[in-house]
Amino acid sequence: MGKEYSLQELEKRILRCNRCGTCQDVCPTYRITGNENDVARSRVRLARLVLEGKYQWGEEEQLTANLNACLLCKACVAVCPANVPTDEIVMEARKYTQQRKGLPPFNRIAYRGVFSHNKRLALLTRVIRMYQKSGMNRVVQRSGFLKLLKDWGKAEDLLPPMPAQSLGQMLPDLLRPPASTTLRVVFFAGCAINFFYSRIGAASIRVLQANACQVAVPEVGCCGGPHQSGGDFSEAMRLAKGNIDRVLAQRPDVIVSDCATCSSVLKEYAALLGNDAEYGPRSAEFSAKVRDINELIVEKGWLRDLAPLAGRVSYHDPCHLARGQGITAAPRTILRSIPGLEMVEMREADMCCGGAGSYGALHPDMSRRILDRKMGNFKGTGATILATSCPSCAMQLEYGIRRHGLTASVMHPMELLALSCEKGRAPGAAAQTSGER
Amino acid sequence: MLSPHVQRELTRIFGEDDVLTSPISCEAYAYDSSPFFAQPEAVVLADSTEEIGQLMELATRHGIVVIARGAGTNLSGGCVPTHGGIVVAMSRMDRILEIDPVNETAWVEPGVTNMALQEAVAAHGYMFAPDPASLKVATIGGNVAECAGGMRGVKFGVTRDHLLALEVVMSDGEVVMLGEGGKYLPGIDVTGLFCGSEGTFGIITKIKVKLTPLAEAVRTMMAVFDSLDKAGDTVSAIIAKGIIPTTLEIMDQVLVRAVDDFLQLGLPREAEAILLIEVDGFAVEVDRQCETIVAICTRLGATRVSRANSEEERKNLWLARRSGNGALGRIKAAYMVQDVTVPRYKLPGMLRLVADIASKYGIVIAQMAHAGDGNLHPHLLYDPYDPDEKQRVEEAAKEIFHAALEEGGTLTGEHGIGIEKLDYMPWAFSQDDLEFMLLVKRALDPQMLLNRGKVLSFAMEES
Ligand SMILES: Cc1cc2nc3c(=O)[nH]c(=O)nc-3n(C[C@H](O)[C@H](O)[C@H](O)COP(=O)(O)OP(=O)(O)OC[C@H]3O[C@@H](n4cnc5c(N)ncnc54)[C@H](O)[C@@H]3O)c2cc1C
Ligand code: SF4
Ligand code: SF4
Repeated sequence: MGKEYSLQELEKRILRCNRCGTCQDVCPTYRITGNENDVARSRVRLARLVLEGKYQWGEEEQLTANLNACLLCKACVAVCPANVPTDEIVMEARKYTQQRKGLPPFNRIAYRGVFSHNKRLALLTRVIRMYQKSGMNRVVQRSGFLKLLKDWGKAEDLLPPMPAQSLGQMLPDLLRPPASTTLRVVFFAGCAINFFYSRIGAASIRVLQANACQVAVPEVGCCGGPHQSGGDFSEAMRLAKGNIDRVLAQRPDVIVSDCATCSSVLKEYAALLGNDAEYGPRSAEFSAKVRDINELIVEKGWLRDLAPLAGRVSYHDPCHLARGQGITAAPRTILRSIPGLEMVEMREADMCCGGAGSYGALHPDMSRRILDRKMGNFKGTGATILATSCPSCAMQLEYGIRRHGLTASVMHPMELLALSCEKGRAPGAAAQTSGER
Repeated sequence: MLSPHVQRELTRIFGEDDVLTSPISCEAYAYDSSPFFAQPEAVVLADSTEEIGQLMELATRHGIVVIARGAGTNLSGGCVPTHGGIVVAMSRMDRILEIDPVNETAWVEPGVTNMALQEAVAAHGYMFAPDPASLKVATIGGNVAECAGGMRGVKFGVTRDHLLALEVVMSDGEVVMLGEGGKYLPGIDVTGLFCGSEGTFGIITKIKVKLTPLAEAVRTMMAVFDSLDKAGDTVSAIIAKGIIPTTLEIMDQVLVRAVDDFLQLGLPREAEAILLIEVDGFAVEVDRQCETIVAICTRLGATRVSRANSEEERKNLWLARRSGNGALGRIKAAYMVQDVTVPRYKLPGMLRLVADIASKYGIVIAQMAHAGDGNLHPHLLYDPYDPDEKQRVEEAAKEIFHAALEEGGTLTGEHGIGIEKLDYMPWAFSQDDLEFMLLVKRALDPQMLLNRGKVLSFAMEES
């Protein structure tokens, strides 16, 4: 993610595909369907046919659909001998389609309308929570009330239980001045962390503070990842600029996120705004400071007086961490450092879970079939904890756990580390710092 | 366009979701790894022999061309529907039906990838000897239909040497079992006839292969040379010594650099050529062979010979070799890869000749070769939007074919004729030979429905 191409650059990248077929081995959509319409080679081919003038962006419904069915998981990119950036090509294709056809309704409402404005997302979260809590689910489903939320309606069973408090609301209880500060850290609270998974954000902040970081959590906008995936680069740039201003104002040593999508997008602000006269240099300064939280913790080292936790854990690699940032060892190192916790690898741990942001809502069938494969691999480990480092994966995996009637819990490595770390210190400390309900 | 009746019949046989007819969905089946394109009229995703049987009955009744497709990685246009028709995708028939370690055999469906079979039988201490560089995705059906070879070919031969029996759907929909253990035990080797038939004789629906025990020890080496000639001579010298390595591969500088750009393994970018050599057998035996090989390489001017010290280093070297074709996309958007063979001892001369042809036509030719087999893979790179360069590549290709045949070689070692080499068939074979092949084709597929226009040109078929 990150870069917008000129048409010429795009063409150059598309032409690099010499149709060797290697991507069939890893592309999750192809592995599920066995239909070559669902593999990188054919997505790149379609883009090429448009550039050659045989088709037009957005004119052929099925062409648009084939490009939209890409998870942007980068599995093909990692194995492609010709270095074809299929994910970026697909995002460009979506951009051109959108320029001709306007934003598809889901993007317009969910991304431009909701993710772009924190207040609206907060409101939406509250509405969803009320709906979930009040036991109105069934009534509402029948009455079609949720359809008001347009395509989110389809996503209804995907949504995790909404937390009582957003991360923002928890902050006053959470943030504390550290005893000895080594690092000024801005915690970038992404949308999903702030509103859906505040428990993960809280755990991350606790871990950072326990490890001598001074944490600031400025109010930020969406990282812009969902907009880029949908091809809405202009909105992504607007959001990026706002975030750069707000975060750099804190003069951080490090900018950290516990959302794999956010951190991968933030790391590429430099590429996104590289040609911007005003923001070029600042975006470079910004991106150079960004770390995934696992990456940061391993880089700086962490307190090892950890209390044992019981259980067996298996780790799912988020696409945006494993391939987006090349980070696979750090979260595992952290999990292995927790005494008592048994770490078991699942098969195809780095295969996309099918969540891919809003993918689950837009392509429910494909998404579920990919998820079922993931769940099958997880069941094979006999683990009771499914760890992952991205709230978007967590949402999908929790849905998978419900769907398969499992009792396992989905946790971020930081949640486990926080638990173990707090148990390892004074008893009662955990209760004191916990802002969750 | 298929008639509505035929479309309805296809839907009845395969189910609505598994019949693709829209132009966009057919685009995904209009090509393979060769530089050719042509749209099919429909694509069906097959799940069983029965479905394919019914498909062929339908096709025979209506005179419709049918093209079998595995992973679509062949390099000669074998899957490209130049005469329209229906593509039958075998990707979903991907079950390994039986592994019999006692008899060292396995039954598989045609859509099983070579890699999936390798992994499944490795658990029993075996391998499937043919290991094309495309093994992660290429299917066993495609391997049989192309008679694929691989890097182990020097020692173990090609797919033909590891094929025992086949279940095939004939052009009229009849299902036959060929070879050992089948209902029909013909006196002549009909199974062998289907190996390398490129989907023109029947649609293969089950395959019984021979398994080969994994060796106790493997040693892998890389020898670096400052000239292509020296590397070529070294190959001849090793073979002359009576050593049969499992693998003996040559890669030239263009390839080494392209691959190193991809994998960043620290390959010797300054080298004019490298040899990848692997020997297997018992531990004592391979160590002795290794020493001999190192001595030969050094004597013939290798600037460096290094051994893979771990399984990971070894895997990296082979990944490097296997990434060759693909990585060339970094240099130019398209390539024509040739597959000519020459008698082993003529390899050094042929490598040189190809290099000369490259400079003569002012094009880039990246060379790799299954050197131990005298099987060359010159990759002629070009820009598909530059008609002049494309023209020069075609001229150069012709010259290479011609030279190989002059040297007593063949048009293709393992990639097949497809449509790419059709024009050269009359150079390689006499009119009698071609007519005999046509007789066989007519006997098996009287209406010329199966992969029409491949191997034998349709003009000839009609005559
Ligand atoms: C990067 C790369 C490296 C390669 N390296 C090698 C190599 O080292 N050695 C080598 O030999 N080849 C190599 N190839 C060529 C190719 O991979 C092989 O020819 C392979 O066997 C093709 O398998 P496939 O499943 O892709 O078949 P496809 O390309 O799908 O089909 C090939 C032919 O077989 C026919 N066919 C497929 N399935 C059936 C069936 N079930 N019944 C009847 N006919 C069928 C098709 O009609 C077609 O004519 C390479 C290709 C690439 C792209
Ligand atoms: S692996 Fe890369 S070059 Fe090969 S077909 Fe896929 S996208 Fe194209
Ligand atoms: S990004 Fe993922 S889903 Fe998209 S083509 Fe590549 S491997 Fe397939």
